[in-house]
Amino acid sequence: MAKRIDVSDVNIYYGKFLAVSDVNLTIQPRSVTAFIGPSGCGKSTVLRTLNRMHEVIAGARVEGTVALDGEDIYGAGVDPVDVRRTIGMVFQRPNPFPTMSIYDNVVAGLKLGSKKISKSELDGVVESSLRSANLWDEVRNRLSKPGSGLSGGQQQRLCIARAIAVKPQVLLMDEPCSALDPISTLAIEDLIQELKTKYTIVIVTHNMQQAARVSERTAFFNLAGIGKPGQMVEIDDTDKIFSNPADKRTEDYISGRFG
Amino acid sequence: MRDVYHDELDDIGKGVIEMTNLVAIAMDRATSALLDANLAQAEAVMAADKRIDTLRTDLEERTFQVISRQQPVATDLRVLISTIHLTADLERMGDLADHVAKIARLRFPESAVPEEARDVISQMGEVARSLVTKVADVVDGRDIALAQAIEAEDDSMDALRRKLFTLVLSPNWSRGTEAAIDMTLLGRYYERYADHAVAVARHTIFIVTGRRPEH
Ligand SMILES: Nc1ncnc2c1ncn2[C@@H]1O[C@H](COP(=O)(O)OP(=O)(O)O)[C@@H](O)[C@H]1O
Ligand SMILES: [Mg+2]
Repeated sequence: MAKRIDVSDVNIYYGKFLAVSDVNLTIQPRSVTAFIGPSGCGKSTVLRTLNRMHEVIAGARVEGTVALDGEDIYGAGVDPVDVRRTIGMVFQRPNPFPTMSIYDNVVAGLKLGSKKISKSELDGVVESSLRSANLWDEVRNRLSKPGSGLSGGQQQRLCIARAIAVKPQVLLMDEPCSALDPISTLAIEDLIQELKTKYTIVIVTHNMQQAARVSERTAFFNLAGIGKPGQMVEIDDTDKIFSNPADKRTEDYISGRFG
Repeated sequence: MRDVYHDELDDIGKGVIEMTNLVAIAMDRATSALLDANLAQAEAVMAADKRIDTLRTDLEERTFQVISRQQPVATDLRVLISTIHLTADLERMGDLADHVAKIARLRFPESAVPEEARDVISQMGEVARSLVTKVADVVDGRDIALAQAIEAEDDSMDALRRKLFTLVLSPNWSRGTEAAIDMTLLGRYYERYADHAVAVARHTIFIVTGRRPEH
C-alpha cells in the first residue's frame, strides 16, 4: 500500500521567484522522513510539491520529476486530484470543517468522489479511520457533534482520520504539532509511529527533537544566502544526522551554531 | 545563539585540559619523589590528587546537567559523552601517580628503587611524561595523528615493564622480597597509567571522527 517517492532535479517557483532549487531525494515506503531547516528555506514548498498542492497557487510551477513508485506524478494525463487523494496532507493548524459533525468530517473526502457509498460502508470507514487515528474511544459517543468542539490535539487527530479515510498511500504532514501542547504532541508522535507501518510519511517539523524522535530519515534544508533559493543540504539516516552528520552546515544547524 | 550552552561546553573542555595537565605533573613529581627519595614531592602529589578528584566530580556533574537540559547532538554530544569517560581515565591516572608517590613515602628516607632498577624506572617515568604531554596536546588540539603516535609509545611502556620483571625474577636479584614487590607494583602502576593515557587518546579520536578506533 505504501509507496516510494523519488524526487529528481526539482526546481520550484513562485512566479519568477525560484524558491527551492535542485532537490534530489528518495523517500522510502513505510518509514518516516523528516524535513528540518530554518524558516523560509522551502520545506513546506517541497512538501506541497510532493502531492501537486504547490501548483494551486497562481503562477507557481515545478520543474523536474516526482515519481511515485516510478510513475511521474507530473506526467501528462495525470489528474492532480487523484494525486492528492493518493498522497494526503495534514496541516499545521488543525482545520476540521467547523460546522460539520465529527462523522461528516471524517468522510468529507470520500463524499467528494463520484462513487455512491452506502451508509454501512461509511460507518465502517469512520470507525476504522478514527481507530487508526487513536481517536475512536474518545469520540465514539459523540460522532454527531461538531468537530470544532474537540481539543486541539483531538482536532488534529480528526484531521489525520479525515486524511486516512480516503485510503492514501502517503501522508504529508506540515508541522502537525506546532499548534499543540506537549502531551497532544506526544500523542501525535505515537500515532505517527503506528501509521508508518502502513503509510509512507513525510513530516516537516521545526522541532529537531521531534525529528530525532519520530523519523528514520532526516533531510536538512537550508538557504544558500539571502535572496538565494532554498536547497537540500543532505539526507541521511536520522541516527547519523544527529550523531555525526556529513555536512558541517547540518552540524551547525542542529547544534544551534547557526547565524 | 545558545551562548550560555556553548560557554559551558567550552568551560567543560577547559576543565578536561586542566585535569590532563594535573595528572602529567603528578606522575612527573611522583617519579622524581621515587628516584630522589624526596618526601616533600611525594606529599605534594598526594595533596594534588584531591584537586584531580574534585575536578572529576565537578566535570561529571556539569556534563550530566548539560546533557539533561540542552539535548546536545552531533559533536557536542560526542564531546560530553566522551568527557564522562575521559575524566574517569584521568582520575585513575591521578590515582596511579598517587600510588607511586605512596611507595616513595613508605621507603623514605631510603630510595624505593634499588640501583639496578633505576634505569628502567627512570625510563618509565620518561615514557609516562612523553605520553601524557602528547595526550594533553591531543585533548587540547584534538590532533588525531598524535593520538595514533600515543599507541606506539604505549608499546615501549609494556616493553619496559617486561624488562623490570626480568630484573626482579633473575637469580641475581639481591634486594629481597619487599623490594621485588615494590618493583612489581611500580611496573604495574606505570603500565596502567600509559593504558589510561591511550584510552584518553581514543576517546578524543571518537570526538573528532565519530568512530571508535579499533583495538
Ligand atoms: N504563496 C507563496 N507565494 C510566494 N512566495 C512564497 C509563498 N509561499 C512561500 N513562499 C516563499 O518560498 C520560500 C520558502 O517558503 P516555505 O516553503 O514556506 O519555507 P519553510 O516551510 O521552510 O519555512 C520563502 O522565501 C517564502 O517566502
Ligand atoms: Mg513551512
